[in-house]
Amino acid sequence: MAQDKNTTLAVIEQFLKLVQKEPEALTDDLPLYGEGLGLDSLEAAELSAVLEDKFGSDPFSAGGDLPQTVGDILGFYEAPATA
Amino acid sequence: MIGLLERAAAAEPDRIAVVTPEGAATYPALLDDARRVAGTLVDRRTTSAVLVEPDVSWVIRVLAGAALVGVDICQFQADIDGSAFAVQSEALGYFPVLTRRPDLARAVDTIPTSALRDGTPVTDRRSGPQPVTIRTTGTTGTPKAARHDWSVLARTVAAVEPRPHQRWLMAYGPHQFAGIQVLQHVIASHATLIAPFPRQPADGLAALLEHEVTCVSATPTYWRFLLAEARSRGVALPPLEQVTLGGEAAPAELLASLRSAFPAARISHIYASTEFGSVASVADGRPGLPVSSLARDENPTANLRIVDGELQVRAAAGMLGYVGSAAPDDAEPSWRPTGDLVTVVGDRVVFTGRTSEVINVGGVKVHPLPIEERIGALPRVEMARVFGRSNRLTGAIVAAEVVPVPGLDDGGLDDLRHEIRSAVADLPRAWHPRSVNFVNSIATRGAKTVRRMEP
Repeated sequence: MAQDKNTTLAVIEQFLKLVQKEPEALTDDLPLYGEGLGLDSLEAAELSAVLEDKFGSDPFSAGGDLPQTVGDILGFYEAPATA
Repeated sequence: MIGLLERAAAAEPDRIAVVTPEGAATYPALLDDARRVAGTLVDRRTTSAVLVEPDVSWVIRVLAGAALVGVDICQFQADIDGSAFAVQSEALGYFPVLTRRPDLARAVDTIPTSALRDGTPVTDRRSGPQPVTIRTTGTTGTPKAARHDWSVLARTVAAVEPRPHQRWLMAYGPHQFAGIQVLQHVIASHATLIAPFPRQPADGLAALLEHEVTCVSATPTYWRFLLAEARSRGVALPPLEQVTLGGEAAPAELLASLRSAFPAARISHIYASTEFGSVASVADGRPGLPVSSLARDENPTANLRIVDGELQVRAAAGMLGYVGSAAPDDAEPSWRPTGDLVTVVGDRVVFTGRTSEVINVGGVKVHPLPIEERIGALPRVEMARVFGRSNRLTGAIVAAEVVPVPGLDDGGLDDLRHEIRSAVADLPRAWHPRSVNFVNSIATRGAKTVRRMEP
């Protein structure tokens, strides 16, 4: 269930617009929390639901380590072996 | 039930009691049939039976006939799934099964509904209790069967004045407590019941338009669907004399819509449950109950109180007990939790949700109703349902399914998403819906909105 990187990015961008946390540039190494996008647990939970609704699975719910950066989310969909 | 029917037949010998898709029946005809049903039940030495019957005329014949000879009837919804019925009726242990459905027939213990009229009429009432068993809708889990007595249930309509000109819509199933209340009320009023089947809001709307219905009692969810159906079909609603809501909290926004749709109607909402019967009725057009309905020093006989945010009811005039458990001790009326969560706002007791619907978002207890009301009040929203959705990060998140008004394009839906966010902005952050999906219809059970947690 590999996703095109741009499709995934578009979903993330749309979500960030909704929660009003749009960064200057959405780069792979941008942290999701703290100094990066600054998502709190409720917003991360929301992003996980948005991704699950869109793609059927999401990197937050998949078990294992939680994604830390934008790149971790993109990587989850590019390498779906663990999904 | 039988007493009400006898009085109505004597007072209104030519009045049509009930109109169903299978025809119309007068009060005397129904009474005669009920007496024949009683004869059949006596011949079969029946003490209890299960009834699975879609036609409300038949339901009245059986309930009244069984009450005449003290036979305990438990109805199951007419369209119940066969395998669910097998399990649930087995657990209940009532025999025989009275039904027209061949798929529910058990080898020996079934009487086809149509054969029930073959008995020799019984006219003398058997002394002793008149039990009847009513199952809960199971909005919050497996239905429970509550045992009542007709003589107690009939007290709720003891003060009803005859209003034979009224024509009531049967919006509830006759197997539901609220449906039994409507049956009793209509017969006590010597009025006419319009009982379509199926009983979806669209069928109710059709009945309203075709059968000159003047009074309707239904759940808030049913009313929302009926109003939406009328809007989308572009039909003018007939004037109603009485609009009653029950079974769920009645939000202000819905009361206002009903007021503008039926300007001449008396609008009331009833607080009742299968277990406790009708506890309070409010007709002032405002949501919630007046604080005066609570028991307190200056009002010690009231049957409601609040403990830890949950409404409790005094179970004095309620049911006999649940099937399969000991009868409650009637000598000592006890307070029972209702599962309804409330807060007092000014002079009102306002409903915030059900204990079973509470969503635990990272340790914060969230009630769906206030969220649902805010979303439902948006002009571009037809209906909304709020419930819990599992989430690995916070245990659960608040999820919403929203039915938008017809004709919104993608841009419109995007705007609506932002409007929903603004509408809940005054609530704590844990209460904000983190999953909003636009859907064509929302899930209901027994015409109530389903708010149970989803995986």
